[in-house]
Amino acid sequence: MANLNIDAVKERTFQAIVIGSGLSGSWAAKELTEHGVKTLVIERGRDVKHIKDYPTTSMLPYEFEHRGQLTQEIQKENPIVSRCYAFREDAAHFFVKDKEHPYVQEKPFDWIRGYQVGGKSLLWARQVQRWSDFDFEGPARDGFAVDWPIRYKDIAPWYSHVEKFAGVSGNKDGLASLPDGEFLPGFPLNVVEEYFQGKLKEHYGDERHMILARCAHITGNFDYYAQQGRAKCQSRNLCQRGCPFGGYFSANSSTIPWAEKTGNMTLRTDAVVHSIIYDEEKGKATGVMVIDAHTKEMEEYFADVIFVNAAALNTNLILLNSTSTRFPNGLGNDSGLLGKYVAFHNYRAGISAQYEGHLEYTTQGGRPTSGYFPRFRNLKKQETDFLRGYAAGFGANRGSYADQNAIGMELKENLLNPDQYGPWNVGSHMMGETIPKESNYVALDANAKDPFGMPQLKINVDYDDNDEKMIKDYLEQMTEMFEKAGFTNIKTRDDKRAPGLDIHEMGGVRMGKDPKTSLLNGNHQLHAVPNVYVTDGASMTSTSTQNPSLTYMAFAARAAHHAMKNFG
Amino acid sequence: MKRRDALRSLALITGGLVLVPSCDFSKEDILTAYQNLQITPSLQQLLKDIAGTIIPVGNIKSAADIEVQDFILVMVNDCIDADGQKSFMQGLQGFEDFSKKSGGSAFAKLDQSGKEAVVKAALAIELPENTKPEDPQKATKEFIGMAKRFTVQGFMMSEYIQTQVKPYSLIPGDYQGAVLISDLKPERING
Repeated sequence: MANLNIDAVKERTFQAIVIGSGLSGSWAAKELTEHGVKTLVIERGRDVKHIKDYPTTSMLPYEFEHRGQLTQEIQKENPIVSRCYAFREDAAHFFVKDKEHPYVQEKPFDWIRGYQVGGKSLLWARQVQRWSDFDFEGPARDGFAVDWPIRYKDIAPWYSHVEKFAGVSGNKDGLASLPDGEFLPGFPLNVVEEYFQGKLKEHYGDERHMILARCAHITGNFDYYAQQGRAKCQSRNLCQRGCPFGGYFSANSSTIPWAEKTGNMTLRTDAVVHSIIYDEEKGKATGVMVIDAHTKEMEEYFADVIFVNAAALNTNLILLNSTSTRFPNGLGNDSGLLGKYVAFHNYRAGISAQYEGHLEYTTQGGRPTSGYFPRFRNLKKQETDFLRGYAAGFGANRGSYADQNAIGMELKENLLNPDQYGPWNVGSHMMGETIPKESNYVALDANAKDPFGMPQLKINVDYDDNDEKMIKDYLEQMTEMFEKAGFTNIKTRDDKRAPGLDIHEMGGVRMGKDPKTSLLNGNHQLHAVPNVYVTDGASMTSTSTQNPSLTYMAFAARAAHHAMKNFG
Repeated sequence: MKRRDALRSLALITGGLVLVPSCDFSKEDILTAYQNLQITPSLQQLLKDIAGTIIPVGNIKSAADIEVQDFILVMVNDCIDADGQKSFMQGLQGFEDFSKKSGGSAFAKLDQSGKEAVVKAALAIELPENTKPEDPQKATKEFIGMAKRFTVQGFMMSEYIQTQVKPYSLIPGDYQGAVLISDLKPERING
């Protein structure tokens, strides 16, 4: 870049650079730009403008050529992403296809990605549960990973800050394991879910709870959200297409347009970050190198502060690829632990059953959330022969269906007038904490390159004995609770899915107090390069059981304010 | 993919009648819209008759009236694996023979009740455990299963049903978790 003149450098210089425009990056961008910081947001994928770029959002079922199903050809070409429940005809365009970004699986790992402005915030399940100190104190209490450098009190105000702006629907449940937040009205539980709640109370007292899962949907305070151009959730349950009402939080509907409105954001799309530039003389990061996704040409951008929010594993990839004389093994990697202690959520197990009570009732309308079991296992003390525990989803449903046994006019009448009701179907799925280990890692492959000339990421992540024991316990405990509630035809399952399909991959750039055993400090700065912040899933020291997105958003907002105070 | 999409669109406009010139004039042309299948216009017509038997005309249109056979063929061509496609084709091609054996006549020549009897007989086929993969009974059973499933799906998820008969709403309304079934008085649709 020797031929760059001074003006060109000036044009390419910002106060802050945010790598990634998804859920966490957009929060960093929103906070920075709102406070006057000239910020460049770099996104490797294409732009996706709210509403305008949701091509399927208002399509009726008959308008999909295969009524939602994907063709054999697409599934054969994309065995990895095809395993994701949301990769269907209505949202396939928001997922990365297998060939677009190859990676090396030393062990099976389903890496599900969304490369576009907004990232996976268009596709997420929108579940937002707070962590408590039962979670932050986990590694210290149970002797794994390293102690988190922060506690609930550090993050609580930022949870509130994020919840208020994003819009979170939920009930104040008063549980120490799952702190209450700034909630808009909750969606109702149905009659069988409430019955089950009562049964839990009867048999387990205050030890186990099934509550309404908190979700990032607007259910009140409508004038406030109108400022963002967002409106009440219509319960369409078509969120993965992008919501024309902005009823749920996505970067596209909320934080990105908000940042844009300040006039302080520059958005550079179709730009794959190659590495972060480290200036040996200045002893700090000075910018980033990007590869234009179309021309494949390299460009440089400069800033005082850099936020890395590329989504957990790609954040690892960028840091590993940012080598210099000072950091030959990746930026900030003095400890040698960059890419290690990767963990995820164990989603392998589930249970289904039927309930023959409350048969005079059914449900109507839609609901974008369901029931939720906050973790009860090993919560206050160690109770089992495995560490930590699991949260779980829970739902009961019942609707009318048509008898399809006949043919001819009888079949036609039945189809047009579905009047059959079976028993209630009830079910739960497990969300288990996995223990971060040095042997679960990502690294750069020495030979294989991706289509942009970047080293491919090789992934070596697996379950362990703790996970197997936890699956067994989950299935036993759920079976017991289902039996106590009088549910019948109970069926347990372990689908043996590979890690990754939970889409909760975390770690590799973990936070900690000691630079020898962690990469980031309590403010999300690289210990060795304090003007580089990592606030996405890569920063997670442990995983606990909650859906992690809310925590990333709160991290990003908190770190952005730290950066403004210290580099302003 | 572009060419395929173009052919597909043309096929939808013309009802699948995009023909590839064939050198062997003794054979019927193959509809190119379904490149994984060997569908002739007469097989397409037979499938239409079967769909119209499964969901016949009454106060509202039949599956045949809204050309559900084209949807069935798109689904089998695009969303069914090679083995399933083979059974489907074998069963469809052998269905006239099945009709003659089971109903005593070519399918098209039967009246509605005769056609229904043939379709019911196909659906009722029970295969002994030692059935060979190439047994025509097996193909007939698999074919009619797919034909029925896609007829039901194609009919209920058609523009006609979802706009004129049972208008579909993308907004289902607020969630109610305890609705007494006895309070529901759905308006009966007379098929």
